Amino acid sequence: MNLNRNTPPQIYSVDGVEYIEPKCHKLSNGVELFTMKSGDQEVVKLDFMFKAGSWYAKSRLDSMMAALMLQEGTESLNASQIANTFDFYGAQFSSNSSYDNNYVTLVALNKYLPELLPLVSDILTNASFPESEFEILRQKRKQKALVDAERVGLVAQRGFLRNLFGEGHPYAPVASPASYDTLLLSDVKQHYKNFYRSDNMSIIASGFIDSTVIELIAANFSLSWGKNDSAITNDSYRLPKAKKSITIEKEGANQNAIAIGKLFPKQDHPDFPGLKLLCTILGGYFGSRLMTNIREEKGYTYGIQASPISFQQEGVLLIFAEVKMDKTSEAIKEVFYEMDRLTKELITEQELIPIQNYLLGRILEDFDGPFARAQTFASLREVELDFDYYTKLIETFKTTTPQQIKALAKKYLKADSMITVVAGTK
Amino acid sequence: MIAFEKITLSNGLRVIVHVDRSTPFVAVNVCYHVGAKNESPNRTGFAHLFEHLTFGGTKHIRDFDTPTQNVGGSNNAFTTNDITNYYITVPANNIETALWLESDRMVGPKFTKKGLDVQRNVVIEEFRQRNLNRPYGDTWHLLRDLAYKVHPYRWPTIGLTPQHIEEATMEEVKEFFFHHYAPNNAVLVISGNIDADKAFQLAEKWFSDIPQREIKSHLIVQEPLQTVDRELTVNRAVPIDCFYVAWHMGSRLDPDYYAADLLSDILSGGNSSRIEEKLVKGEKLFTEADIFLSGENDPGLFIATGKLNEGIDYNLGREKIIAEAMKTTETLVSAKELEKVKNKIEAEQVFNEIGYLEKAMQLASFEILGDVDLINTQLDHYRAVTADQIRLVAEKILRPGNKNTLNYLSLTK
Repeated sequence: MNLNRNTPPQIYSVDGVEYIEPKCHKLSNGVELFTMKSGDQEVVKLDFMFKAGSWYAKSRLDSMMAALMLQEGTESLNASQIANTFDFYGAQFSSNSSYDNNYVTLVALNKYLPELLPLVSDILTNASFPESEFEILRQKRKQKALVDAERVGLVAQRGFLRNLFGEGHPYAPVASPASYDTLLLSDVKQHYKNFYRSDNMSIIASGFIDSTVIELIAANFSLSWGKNDSAITNDSYRLPKAKKSITIEKEGANQNAIAIGKLFPKQDHPDFPGLKLLCTILGGYFGSRLMTNIREEKGYTYGIQASPISFQQEGVLLIFAEVKMDKTSEAIKEVFYEMDRLTKELITEQELIPIQNYLLGRILEDFDGPFARAQTFASLREVELDFDYYTKLIETFKTTTPQQIKALAKKYLKADSMITVVAGTK
Repeated sequence: MIAFEKITLSNGLRVIVHVDRSTPFVAVNVCYHVGAKNESPNRTGFAHLFEHLTFGGTKHIRDFDTPTQNVGGSNNAFTTNDITNYYITVPANNIETALWLESDRMVGPKFTKKGLDVQRNVVIEEFRQRNLNRPYGDTWHLLRDLAYKVHPYRWPTIGLTPQHIEEATMEEVKEFFFHHYAPNNAVLVISGNIDADKAFQLAEKWFSDIPQREIKSHLIVQEPLQTVDRELTVNRAVPIDCFYVAWHMGSRLDPDYYAADLLSDILSGGNSSRIEEKLVKGEKLFTEADIFLSGENDPGLFIATGKLNEGIDYNLGREKIIAEAMKTTETLVSAKELEKVKNKIEAEQVFNEIGYLEKAMQLASFEILGDVDLINTQLDHYRAVTADQIRLVAEKILRPGNKNTLNYLSLTK
């Protein structure tokens, strides 16, 4: 066969994504149940979504600990009984807190749902927060925080967010491992009582969904429970004036970590799709400008990324890398150089087209398979968007011109709007 | 059950196809039977450095990433002690681009001084980031070096020292390629939304003209039986004392493997495991503890580790976890416990059958291991394990003289 390896095969572009809107069922208590059927394996993933993240909490740790404590005991079962049941049926149960929402997730084989769903229901409605388990968890998390405090990468990123949002803001990571010492079980339990309620919950079920699954969910989660006694509201939170530049000394570091960025439009802002494209060009994929310059050409780092991060209330641009100690200021200089270049030069079609196609491929991935689709749906709900967002995203990726990209860079990547945090050794 | 078909091309390349219509993508996964264990002791980290180099362009393709992005795909790779695995995922109608790229990687990388210089720097930064700049980052260097005296598992894939990577020459790089990267030393798996016939036909089109190469013999010195316990103590700037205790066990294809895996699950798989219930929550000795297998192809390690809770005597904690493991050499595990860990393995297997890329990687690694059918039959092996076999395997692994203890102590305390 005469094979020509010099010419690439024909390229087929990604035209669009097949949206399958989830079905919405209303349970008798008003809870919305969204189902997405797909896949042949008899596996189901259930996500119970509560607006109970740190945004709603008195302190960030209260919401984190409340999420983690759920499986540590109910009014009728202790932690060991709960763990044994999940393990015996090979189910994966997790309860995670995030900035805005908390997710309680069960992944299980369909055949064991009749045994597992009553347990999950018990956990959500009757969690008992035993003192002894709380102390164990407190100690565990504190030790983890002690280790994390030794990682310059985490130190820089957390320092960056604290600088941007201000100490004590719901989105600002906690400053010290010692914060765990003053944590009160009563506060954590109160957070659970206030926010884990049927009228603050929605359910996303994905995978092998049939009428049996839906009936089982309805049978186990149609109870009305809980009431909010709290008057906490973080809506009026005022952001501080962030310091332009911070250095966090970390003795004995082998590399320095840099975090550069600013407050940024969030996902529901009309400029966000364009900014996603802009950040990808800058540092959002393997061949990005920052990777090409700072990793591939100069070898200062193993990896560098620029990402727009979107919370429900705020957005952030974060450029992050761990870099060679003696090349720290050079690396920072190159980051600013690359941002500046975007504000001055037009991107060529040759560079832009592969990035557009790459991003369209990533969108396709967001809808690939039952769990990815459920995840995508959940993250849209988290910021109160719907699938229209993806229509806009595709449209933007396909039609944004080099001029528009330059204009966005001029508007959002001004050097004097950035803050810089370095963690490590001078 | 994962259905697949397999053929071997005339140049020795094994091709496996798995059809999955639930995804709009296909994965092209090429796994080479070369890893850190094929390195010479004074050129460690080479297989992994080489993985980096192949992304710097190949013989006919100047830039590897742009064509991938252009078709909406993504690519990556990883190196272990046993294998080097490359993959590209693309929307299904762009499969030829992925095959074009991966086949040209097999034809040969573009060897340039600049490319080598840059990747050397990048890999040294990776070494710093993962191993030197992170608390406990040198654990595996220490533990492997303690447990293995001759087998190349005594170094991790990143290599023994950044110096080996600094000193790598172009000649060595070329030699490494031609002795290990060849159709007759690799497996190609195509999985996803494609007809099997079409996939085989395209594999033939893109790979069949790559010549066989002489593979440097894979004679690897096996570790002699350890007869005396070993112990190493280091003091590091970490906040918490921790320990690793490693015993030698059989290979991945050893019939005992399944019992050993279940044993580790009984001891510490999940929140209801013995270690978690008795030692972490019950006696509050540790904030974290785990017992797991290193999971390599050649004879590997059975490892116990723990981070001590505040105020707990270090030796007491470490000896308690060993004693808990030792109990299984005397007393049979209960039927209920055994059923529990088997159910867990079964569920995990079904969960793993969901991603087309994960399935491709698993098919490739089982084929490299020498028995691709294990992907579907291993559950039977697990199901067949008896309580008696678990006790016997515990006795075999936890025997006197087979133990390697790494005490990783905090300087700051």
